[in-house]
Amino acid sequence: MTPNLTAEFTSVDDVQTAFASENYIADRPLALTMKLASDLGKPVLLEGEAGVGKTEVAKVLASVFATPLIRLQCYEGLDANTTLYEWNYARQILHIRMAEHDEDKRATLEKTIFNDEFLLNRPLLEAIRHPGPRPAILLIDEVDRADEEFEAFLLEMLSDYQVTVPEIGTFSATMPPRVILTSNRTRELNDALKRRCLYLWIDYPSPAKEREIIARRVPGIESSLAQAIAEVMHRLRQIDFYKRPGIAETLDWSQALLGLGVEEITADLMDDTAGVILKYHDDIERLRSIGYDHVIAGEV
Amino acid sequence: MEARDRPSSSIMERTLELCRLAKDAKLPVTQGRVIDVFRSLESIDWLNEDDFRLALRTNLVGNREDEIRFDRVFHDYWYGPGQDNEDYKPWRPELIRGEKQHGDVRGHEEMLTDSEQFGAEEVSRELNLTARWDESAPPLDQVIRALAKRLATRPSRRRQHAPNGRKIDLRRSVRRNLRHGMDMLDLARVKRRTRKTRIVLLSDVSGSMDAFNPFLLQLMLGLQQALKNSRTLVFSTQLTEITALLRRSSVHQTLGEIGATVQHWSGGTDIGNALAKLNRGILREGSSRSTVAIIISDGYDNGITEQIEHEMRVMRRRVRKIVWINPMYGATTFEVRATGMKAALPFVDHFLPAFNAKSLKILVRELAQI
Repeated sequence: MTPNLTAEFTSVDDVQTAFASENYIADRPLALTMKLASDLGKPVLLEGEAGVGKTEVAKVLASVFATPLIRLQCYEGLDANTTLYEWNYARQILHIRMAEHDEDKRATLEKTIFNDEFLLNRPLLEAIRHPGPRPAILLIDEVDRADEEFEAFLLEMLSDYQVTVPEIGTFSATMPPRVILTSNRTRELNDALKRRCLYLWIDYPSPAKEREIIARRVPGIESSLAQAIAEVMHRLRQIDFYKRPGIAETLDWSQALLGLGVEEITADLMDDTAGVILKYHDDIERLRSIGYDHVIAGEV
Repeated sequence: MEARDRPSSSIMERTLELCRLAKDAKLPVTQGRVIDVFRSLESIDWLNEDDFRLALRTNLVGNREDEIRFDRVFHDYWYGPGQDNEDYKPWRPELIRGEKQHGDVRGHEEMLTDSEQFGAEEVSRELNLTARWDESAPPLDQVIRALAKRLATRPSRRRQHAPNGRKIDLRRSVRRNLRHGMDMLDLARVKRRTRKTRIVLLSDVSGSMDAFNPFLLQLMLGLQQALKNSRTLVFSTQLTEITALLRRSSVHQTLGEIGATVQHWSGGTDIGNALAKLNRGILREGSSRSTVAIIISDGYDNGITEQIEHEMRVMRRRVRKIVWINPMYGATTFEVRATGMKAALPFVDHFLPAFNAKSLKILVRELAQI
């Protein structure tokens, strides 16, 4: 599909079509939230278990609008330096050393040394300085991992989309980025941050939706096998594992089963491929003790 | 079409009414959010009930529980509260109400009598906790801070600017000395940052712990005040989170509200169940490894020992450290006799015998010397 060059969605269905063309099945709540986010110009906060496709939303949005995706992965101890800008000190010093041998340059040294050439744009500044023609997609991933101080700083940035670099001046966004925040909910986020965002909880997909995802992402798979996989995965998620399998695991498993050329899921097959779905030894043991037949037959 | 371009007055009134109801249901509704709700209506097909609901919801909620609550408010508003739809789930049942299923002992027939007995003992009365509050006890703030410092911090890999730091911060030093023509006169230094840790306090308030109530209350209040991002839960046969209650401005208000909320105070003990709910609740998958769990209990348990062992193993993986404070340990007759305690012990990082502020203080001092 040709990219959407207006960077606007005309309707909720339009969102769904656009996402589908990128092989992402967006259900109504997600599509509606994306529509509102683009109309109101508000950031979106997506929460959900690991592996339900939160990050993917931003990637899809970027490719729908054919605009860059600027990603900021959060972690504990993240600070303004690493997210906004840094001066390229090594180059500055090199420049100073070179200027020392040149009378003319020495006079203007201070002016030249603090200009754009020596500024390293970090994600937030990059998003603000994005010239267009369409807004960049700014993905702030796993914001719950960052410190609360960073959240406060983010708040400031999200409200006026401008950044001041003392030596140069203030950069204001000519084209404010579309912001997507994701959180795994390891802690509650600040109320003030939440208030600025549209909120959506993304759940694991229903079996029907998951089957559709498999069919789109794993070309060549039989629809009966896709159906069976979706149902097994749905049942597996009811079990209280340490780490429940996400959609990525579904797709890996589908790929594996397709590669093995199987037509239906059997207990032996599940035993052989359990490592694709579950990543902890205890979880695999758990599944084994419940019995693969039960999971396949739907008696969990 | 024209009618749809601008929401008609009746839908506006309805929307406003829904926002008000949502606010009454303790959803985080603010003026700004309501304005955004109305802005949203202009860009959706609000004749479609689902779209209308979703547009309101995405603007008015802040977390998943809010979503579920909003759906209920919305449903009740249009269909009346009596018309229960099975799609609507109660709000986080396991953490809020902690409903104990009497007789549900997962196939362990032999435990049945015990469990029923203890289920029956679960007291449902308003509790006067004020009587158990010792006004004269010395404040615990200091000792809790020391405890937290010892247990709940660790040096981070990241560094922070500090004049007395050990390492030289080259980047900052260069920057600072640009004005001296790059003669390094004034060095900037860094030290390792201290990582903050979240504390989850799980306190046993069953009958066998009654004697230590003044100490428990003091510890819970002190910890919550000293470490703002910690969370406190109490358990006996059920599990209740009381973090919000501990933030009330006066001690008496706090005690009153805890008494009114925690119906199972002085009940039986089911440690395994409480741990299970904690593991599935706030320590769920993805819980950061910087969490320290502090359990205060005598370890006397009427639940299933295997379950305790299993849940301790799960918890071990989800938190950085498990600290067990056992008030009974101070008694001369104490031995690890309580079956629950025995099962849990292998997974505990620090086992602290403490029964009042004084013993806790001594303990923290000893701990600091290790």
